[in-house]
Amino acid sequence: MVKFELEGTERYALESYQWLLERILIDMGITTMVERVRLIIRPDQTLFIISMRIKQAGSKRPVSDIADMEAQEGGTFITIKDESYAPRLLASLWRMYGRERVQQLTRLEIFVDGVPVEELSDLKLDPEEEVRSQLLDAMWRLLPEGLKVRNEYYNDNVMTIVATEHGMTVDFLAEAQKVHSSMVQGKGED
Amino acid sequence: MYEVLMFDGGVHKLEEMLDLIEDIGGFVLQRIQVQVMVTLTIAIPEEDRPLIERKAAELGGKIIEVPLAGTEIAVVGPTLGRHHMPHPICDIAEHLRRYGAITIVMGLARGRGRKTCQISAAEKAIIEEYDAAIFMLGNFKECVTHEKINLYKDIQVPVVVVIGPELDSLPDCEALVCGVGRKVERMRRSEEIAKLEEIADRVKEVVDRRRKEIEEDPLFVHPSEVKDALEDLDAVQECLRPSPVVLHVDGLRVKIPYKDHVKELEEVEVYGHKLKDIATISDCRLGDSTIIRIRTKAEVEGKVLGCDRP
Repeated sequence: MVKFELEGTERYALESYQWLLERILIDMGITTMVERVRLIIRPDQTLFIISMRIKQAGSKRPVSDIADMEAQEGGTFITIKDESYAPRLLASLWRMYGRERVQQLTRLEIFVDGVPVEELSDLKLDPEEEVRSQLLDAMWRLLPEGLKVRNEYYNDNVMTIVATEHGMTVDFLAEAQKVHSSMVQGKGED
Repeated sequence: MYEVLMFDGGVHKLEEMLDLIEDIGGFVLQRIQVQVMVTLTIAIPEEDRPLIERKAAELGGKIIEVPLAGTEIAVVGPTLGRHHMPHPICDIAEHLRRYGAITIVMGLARGRGRKTCQISAAEKAIIEEYDAAIFMLGNFKECVTHEKINLYKDIQVPVVVVIGPELDSLPDCEALVCGVGRKVERMRRSEEIAKLEEIADRVKEVVDRRRKEIEEDPLFVHPSEVKDALEDLDAVQECLRPSPVVLHVDGLRVKIPYKDHVKELEEVEVYGHKLKDIATISDCRLGDSTIIRIRTKAEVEGKVLGCDRP
């Protein structure tokens, strides 16, 4: 269950934007990944701040944790043990070495041409990278279309966007930073 | 006065219904046939409605009220971006079609935002070609009451405003419906359908008011009578666009290019009068169509008697 904190001058706007975000998250299938959301909407100042905290999905995992690696003539043979990481591992290998050098032999077996085992052991996979990009998409869908002047703050598990229409003021930025740090520290939680 | 109704029935003995419509001086505005089932949109003299109802019952069909038939309505959103489309703008447009209206959906070029929202003269002129316009103005009360009202205030056709927050009234609009703001999914819940019904009711009231105003100084001919005459034109028969002739409350939109066919249209005869004498024919703002505004009885008769001369 996502915990919402609403603050602003218009009740209908806050409630409707909470409802909109809930529907967007359900639509994208990422409701379970979001822990807490803070919305600040002040139409009289044309200010919109949204801050979202995602649930810890575990830290970066080394490839050696999720797959067995064996040195073979001309490269490394990888057998994936944790299937949920298979697409991400394959995508990372393709990105690093190109499709010609990475052969997917079966669903869970990969051969990487000309790469030693030691090099692959150092590789780490970030499970939250995809979640973050989806989350950013959800926030862009939610933000009112006319509020084009935007600033973002993010760290590992909190993302904050402040949006306005004309000029971003120092006060808006300071408020957004304050919201962001309170979300990072988990202030105001029960 | 003509009344627009819909007959829903089978093809068996349909010619009896068609003959009756012709005998009482009515018109078939649209005929949709799917295998043995037929839907006719008809315009008939009000006083002959019992005859049509009796015939429909005899043929095993039914007569459906289509209060918005013979109208073309624009549903206008701040933009055509995914924040506003397809919901709820298309939901409203689709719902009004169930009551017989022809609807179009329009997004303004710079309608989004608070202080930056604006409407151009060209956009206003396009909207004014329709019988009524529905404006969607969003979720923020402050924004609607202070800035967004400027989008529609000079528009010369009736405007129904649809907004999210609850307000008692807004200036310069004929009707206001609250409780419909931004949506990210189709309006299918019972309370949302009730809101769509409310919007349709407000539009019906607005259109009825407009029709009553016209009745005070009636049109020289009913638009459906002009439609009947226009359908004999080759250009209209060859037109492949959906509904080549669309009825308006005070005229018609003919989907053939004005420049190519204006002479031909001017010469069309309706009850012994040339169309140019009983209507104003003009180019449409949206390309390749012609707008015909029928003059009132007083205007036409005054002109015939020479009253328009100084």
